[in-house]
Amino acid sequence: MLGFALAAVFALAAPLAQAAGSQPVERTIHVQASSFEFTPATIRVHRGDIITLEIESTDVVHGIAIDGYDLRIDADPGQTARLTFTADRSGVFRFRCPVTCGALHPFMIGKLYVGNNSLYWGAVLAAVLAAVVGLWSVRK
Amino acid sequence: MRSSRLALGLLFILALGLPLFAASWRWWDLRSGVVEVHARMPDAGGWSPASIRVPAGEALRLMLTSDDVMHSFAIGQSASPVIDLYPGKPVETTLQFDEPGKYTFYCTRWCGPDHWRMRGTIEVTGDANIQTGAAEQPLYLTLGLDIDAHHEASTLPQQRPSVVRGAALGLVLPDKYLALDYYRLHSPEQVWNDLRGELFSKELDDQQVWDLVALVWQFHASSGDAESSQQLYARDCAACHGEAGAGDGVFAHVLGAASETGDMHARQTPADFTGAAHMLGASPALLHGKIVRGGMGTGMPYWGPIYTDDQAWALVSRLYEFQFEVEDK
Amino acid sequence: MNRAALTNTPVVKSLLRSRWPQLFLRALTLGVFLLAILAGILGTPVGNRNIAIVLVWIAWWGLLALLAVPLFGRGWCNICPIPMPGEWLQQGSLLGPRGKGLGLGKRWPNPLRNIWIQNGAFLLLALCSAVVLTEPKVSAWVLAGFLLVAIGASLVFERRAFCRYLCPVGGYIGLYSQASPLELRVVDASVCASHTEKTCYTGSSQGYGCPWQVFPGGLVKNTNCGLCMECLRTCPHDNLSLNVRSFGADLDVPTGRKLDEAYKAFILLGSAMIYAAVMLGPWGQLKALAYGVGTLPWLGYALGFLLVTLVIIPGSFWLVSMLGQVLAGNKDAFKGRGVKKAFTSLAYTLVPLGMTAWIAFTLSFIFANGSYILPSLSDPLGFGWNLFGTAGMGWTPYLSGIVPFMQVIVLLVGLAWASRTALKIARQLASQARLPQEAARRMALPVVAFCLAITILLFQLLIA
Repeated sequence: MLGFALAAVFALAAPLAQAAGSQPVERTIHVQASSFEFTPATIRVHRGDIITLEIESTDVVHGIAIDGYDLRIDADPGQTARLTFTADRSGVFRFRCPVTCGALHPFMIGKLYVGNNSLYWGAVLAAVLAAVVGLWSVRK
Repeated sequence: MRSSRLALGLLFILALGLPLFAASWRWWDLRSGVVEVHARMPDAGGWSPASIRVPAGEALRLMLTSDDVMHSFAIGQSASPVIDLYPGKPVETTLQFDEPGKYTFYCTRWCGPDHWRMRGTIEVTGDANIQTGAAEQPLYLTLGLDIDAHHEASTLPQQRPSVVRGAALGLVLPDKYLALDYYRLHSPEQVWNDLRGELFSKELDDQQVWDLVALVWQFHASSGDAESSQQLYARDCAACHGEAGAGDGVFAHVLGAASETGDMHARQTPADFTGAAHMLGASPALLHGKIVRGGMGTGMPYWGPIYTDDQAWALVSRLYEFQFEVEDK
Repeated sequence: MNRAALTNTPVVKSLLRSRWPQLFLRALTLGVFLLAILAGILGTPVGNRNIAIVLVWIAWWGLLALLAVPLFGRGWCNICPIPMPGEWLQQGSLLGPRGKGLGLGKRWPNPLRNIWIQNGAFLLLALCSAVVLTEPKVSAWVLAGFLLVAIGASLVFERRAFCRYLCPVGGYIGLYSQASPLELRVVDASVCASHTEKTCYTGSSQGYGCPWQVFPGGLVKNTNCGLCMECLRTCPHDNLSLNVRSFGADLDVPTGRKLDEAYKAFILLGSAMIYAAVMLGPWGQLKALAYGVGTLPWLGYALGFLLVTLVIIPGSFWLVSMLGQVLAGNKDAFKGRGVKKAFTSLAYTLVPLGMTAWIAFTLSFIFANGSYILPSLSDPLGFGWNLFGTAGMGWTPYLSGIVPFMQVIVLLVGLAWASRTALKIARQLASQARLPQEAARRMALPVVAFCLAITILLFQLLIA
């Protein structure tokens, strides 16, 4: 039952959350990588944009690897690395440092926001449903 | 009773066996004659050990490992490949030196502002087979050049001197300008003055003479490895001097401004290679000297033990490319 | 309630009764544990290439939070290596009662017969986790510390005092084991009533009296049963049974709901959220604060952590409980009567909510860093070995596009489960307070709203 409900909510929410058609833009975003954060740590783009990330490491060798997009590039200080891709998947994607750069390396994380986060909104709707289902499931 | 002995045995084999196995393997490693070299960021100790001795002709087995960030292992003035050191991923390598002497090993992946200080020495002992003689002096010493003296040019071009425009003038340069020694000893401004005084340049305006200077520079630009000098610059210089040579690399702010006392040997912001006055007043010998000798406390590394002569002169040519419009050959 | 007795299968019963499989597994986990300590002290300081970090905080934690606790409750506690050296010394034997052991055998003091120390121990570990989880040497010393404290506790106190009252992870496992589908219970309580010796508690030649200081005959919840199977060995009437049952059956048991456990639920829920913010969020300053253990800025972070887990979450839950009482028609609610009982009882709603929150957090952590496990097995100390040929494998995140969906599903299941639990508990409270049954729904609604808010906050932290 819960499964059906969830599927229904996602099927409804996803198309509703599509961005009203916007022209793909070419953007170049400069990101500084230092131990242990990215600056900026959050990047927002529209779906379909062609993004060039310029990764500038400021202290040791870092890099960037984007969840969900399976992209990765390493960057040495003094050699800005450039990664170009099309943001064709919408949602929120964490990007991480792929080169061990010290103790807090596994927590060196930023977030890429592409278009609308339909997963989040679908999940919120589904959560309300889940609470209702939970209450309803208690028989007399 | 037998079962309790069996139980005890099982316990020892599993519970103590695993750690004992690991500890004894490690002990065996350490006794096997491999030299374990740890790479750490310079402020955490740099290379450990930083000096190694080995007799000439004997194999030196090294186990290289990084303890914190990305490093690499390279030997100065040597063709042996650079070994990348991923943190926690040891690499074993065997070196052999036939000639006695002092060899410098260093790191080529930036690991902090003091990255260049991460150097060690391998002292290869033994009797010298060939008379090596005294190491060749760098040119600035032979010339008695004061490379710390100010070298600002007073005559400057209106726009960046261009090799293409210079070549388009269709002039044949006299042999004097084509001599390597002449090029090395004279700054672009001095060459411009010399060219200005020549008969064949009477018809030319000042900018066109600068274009001829660019042509002279292009002629002497170390042939062959334009690409590798680009790579050397990107690898070793850009982090401080900037990818566009403007003295604004990622570590520039760390190096800070010259001290108030005007002490030329205090830490300074890296030189701006795009500054015309600064660069056009510097002869190749002077720049070569700075690269080889270093900045004596300014934060500029000394590359003498690291670069071969060819590499140093190639880098000098590369630096002038921030001043001259150079076409690809 | 439907229960399937696993011990009805003879093979299962004899495997569980036999001391050999258990000894083998315990020796194995102890070996790995000691190896991890050795690796932490002698091995590479790079955390992701040292098993002291990879096997303990990625592999073991992942298995614990994702499989062992949700499916087997306290199953890990059966084979946990930490209390074993102490217990073997205390019992003076590896294979059952045989002669004397060492130790003073003191009774655990009555005022400490609760989990407040465990709550404190967990908080202390959580506050230092940015360092413990990343520095092999620190991790090694912490693990060695657990071992030494456990040995000390076994030599001073009777039975498993460390496990029951001190172990920081035990609070997590114990509380959430109430949600698992596995239980060890008596088959027929009347048999116990007529059995005067109660060898399940006092021990016999076949086995020890319950090391967890629980009376198996009266066991109704999993919280303190470590599944060590001693009672299976000592009961002369074969009256103990290991059952598979529905998830969360213990949450329906109206007795034994205590404040220390309620607080454990608050602490765990709060910690899951703070961990998600610190470790999975984009806020570098926050991570630096968490890492600077011992510094003044870290102290500020620690105070914030404690404020959230000990004041803000319990405080808002108190308000929610009070609102529920008011809505249900409890006229004395504003005077506080009945609120404390509602507060403590309804806090168990946070058991399924917290457990799924930890699962969702762990999913991201484990899949992002799971690729370190295979290389570390080949090179445990990070010194260039290659035992299984996998040492050269590099880092790559697993299933990074799918993890957010998994997290959403897990959290939705947790919310539905928590809502259901809230209503069931509210019905019990309503009938105890002699309020009409319809009042139960109104009593539960604020709690469900609280759970919904927490779930949305978790969505924010994990997938938005």
